[in-house]
Amino acid sequence: MGSDHRSHIMRPSLNLALILLLLLGFDAALFIHSRIRQAEAARHLPSLTAIVTSLGLTDLAVATEARYTRHPAVSDPMAPYGDHPGAIEHFPSGSFWRPPSFR
Amino acid sequence: MLIELGEVSKIYNQGQANEVRALRGVSLEIAAGAMVCLKGPSGSGKSTLLAIIGCIFPPTSGRAAIAGRQLARLPDRFLTLHRRESIGFIFQRFNVLPELTVRDNIALPLLPLGVSPKERRRRAEELMARLAISHRASFPARQISGGELQRVAIARALVNDPPIILADEPTAHLDTGLSREFMEIMAGLRRAGKTVVIASHDPLVFEHPAVERIIPIKDGTIHVS
Amino acid sequence: MTPSLEKQFNILDYALSSLWRRKLKALTVLLVFAAVIFLIASFHLLSQALSEKSRLLLARTPEITVQQMSAGRQEAINLASMEKLKGIFGVRRVAPRVWGYYFDEVHLANYTVMGLDFARMPEGSLPAPVKGEIAEAVGQGGVVAGASVVKSLGLAERGIFSLFRPDLTLKAFTVKGEFPPESEIITHDLLVMDIEDARDLFFIPADKASDLCVFVANQGEIGTIARKIADALPGTRVLTRPQIQKTYQVVFGWRSGFGSICLLTALAAFTILAWDKASGLSPEERRETAILKVLGWQTADILTLRFWESLIVSGLAFLLGITGAWLHVAYGDGFLFRPVLLGWSVLKPGLGLVPDPKLADLLLIFSFSVLPYLAATVIPAWRSATVPADSALGG
Repeated sequence: MGSDHRSHIMRPSLNLALILLLLLGFDAALFIHSRIRQAEAARHLPSLTAIVTSLGLTDLAVATEARYTRHPAVSDPMAPYGDHPGAIEHFPSGSFWRPPSFR
Repeated sequence: MLIELGEVSKIYNQGQANEVRALRGVSLEIAAGAMVCLKGPSGSGKSTLLAIIGCIFPPTSGRAAIAGRQLARLPDRFLTLHRRESIGFIFQRFNVLPELTVRDNIALPLLPLGVSPKERRRRAEELMARLAISHRASFPARQISGGELQRVAIARALVNDPPIILADEPTAHLDTGLSREFMEIMAGLRRAGKTVVIASHDPLVFEHPAVERIIPIKDGTIHVS
Repeated sequence: MTPSLEKQFNILDYALSSLWRRKLKALTVLLVFAAVIFLIASFHLLSQALSEKSRLLLARTPEITVQQMSAGRQEAINLASMEKLKGIFGVRRVAPRVWGYYFDEVHLANYTVMGLDFARMPEGSLPAPVKGEIAEAVGQGGVVAGASVVKSLGLAERGIFSLFRPDLTLKAFTVKGEFPPESEIITHDLLVMDIEDARDLFFIPADKASDLCVFVANQGEIGTIARKIADALPGTRVLTRPQIQKTYQVVFGWRSGFGSICLLTALAAFTILAWDKASGLSPEERRETAILKVLGWQTADILTLRFWESLIVSGLAFLLGITGAWLHVAYGDGFLFRPVLLGWSVLKPGLGLVPDPKLADLLLIFSFSVLPYLAATVIPAWRSATVPADSALGG
């Protein structure tokens, strides 16, 4: 270490501005890409809704471990308790998906 | 008169169980360009008197006019502004921020004044050259010697070019050689037109030829013997 | 630059260098903060993406679905009920379905088997984009399979496979087509076949069906017709399209167990951070503040300094957390949450989610994260900024 001879110093605020610019630039790129992906998804939408209509689908196929996690929209409210009157939720995905409400 | 105090008193913790009367009715006048020593033992109130002259807080009662401004009813904001422009303070233990570089420590008072980084650097470098510490410019303050710290403290007190320089027991933690060096620098400042007030009970300070006047303080009052 | 603007930049510079001098602590706070925001934002983006996807895809779900209930559980419904429905004004067509779950013991996977009477379903047949050479009706013994089933049963190599009936006899099927990859989120575990094949596979009697799909002429009449059906067929459960769609708008939420965990973790982390900030000033901080004040920094300047320090840390953490959450959900399919999302499911679909965060969502997360942190900083900063300047004196 010794005396430095930097004639031009980057003030810290400028460094911060650069970092922010980089981050925001990256976020902007992600945003643009998401718009592209959404446009692509929108192109597929008609065929997907046709599948839904012609098969009469009522649910997204996500958690296939139990019938009320696979088809929450059409499961009766008693389905989670089907095994036993006092049965508690034992499927892990049950903590993510709220149980069907009474209708 | 640059510094005028009339019947100034300072009471800490007024009205409480630990009330302390640090100053009782001190009156004092110091002309511009003078070099004065406030002489007294610890607890005599000289640090308090210095703090009032330094616009750190106003007196509890009495008149205090520093560099043309009445302190008594000044709100803290204006007190600070006035202090910024008029006072350079050198502390007993220097009170330099250890993690900052020497250059950054010296330029610290200039930040709230809205001085640009380039200008701050220029002024700091000028003072470092004057006080022969340029070779330590980029070192963190915790890595430099006591003597160099002393000069950093002096440079920082001078960076905003104040008319009044105050020093509180500046030689308390210095050896004889450094104490003499310090007083030479103070004498130089006086010759350059600054008003210098030093609070000290060190003979090396108050017996220095550059000191024109010694003001003895004891138990919060000035003793004129 | 005017002096007042320059002063603000100076204070900002000092704040940045002050953080840099304590970089270990600052970085730790930043990373913890970013992780908390990542957690909240990920959950929010994932559930929002799933809700939105379901909203789009299930827009044309059957208008009314009729299920037979017995002792509070679902049962097969009599086909004779169809006659009563046809008499109701506004009903366009009624289609029976035989569907259920087939448990593959070898692969421990649940497939959803759907048996449809294609003549009665709207559009009459499967849509053209189905992979394979089939665009026509599936016919006897044929299936159209979803991607996970194809993979699980190895149907890419062989066109014929068998499933067990309840009496353990085998029923053979021919693969007539596969659902396209972009439909995975609705079809990946499906085996679609003719209704009679499903009846044969599950031993469902000829006069029963799993449920009835009712299609109406006027969308606005769904509620009325549903009530009429409920009156006509007591003991049934009548589900309307709005009800099915509503399920997916509320099925993920902060009141689900997982959502609560995310929220509580975030709250706990914030409490710790705020407590750390508020638990007082270190002697160094007091000393630094006193020195700055003696050197001419006003209380407002010190507050600005502390504010900038907090804003830099929390602002950067927010940006990093949000960006990370986006990458996690949009490109990583929410892989950190997948174990909870899919649970013990053996078949795992690619979700292909593209969340669509609105500014309101970002502002919401911002106000629940950055603002409380700033508030937790300003109060102790105020206390520290009022450290009297003369405490710097006397060593």
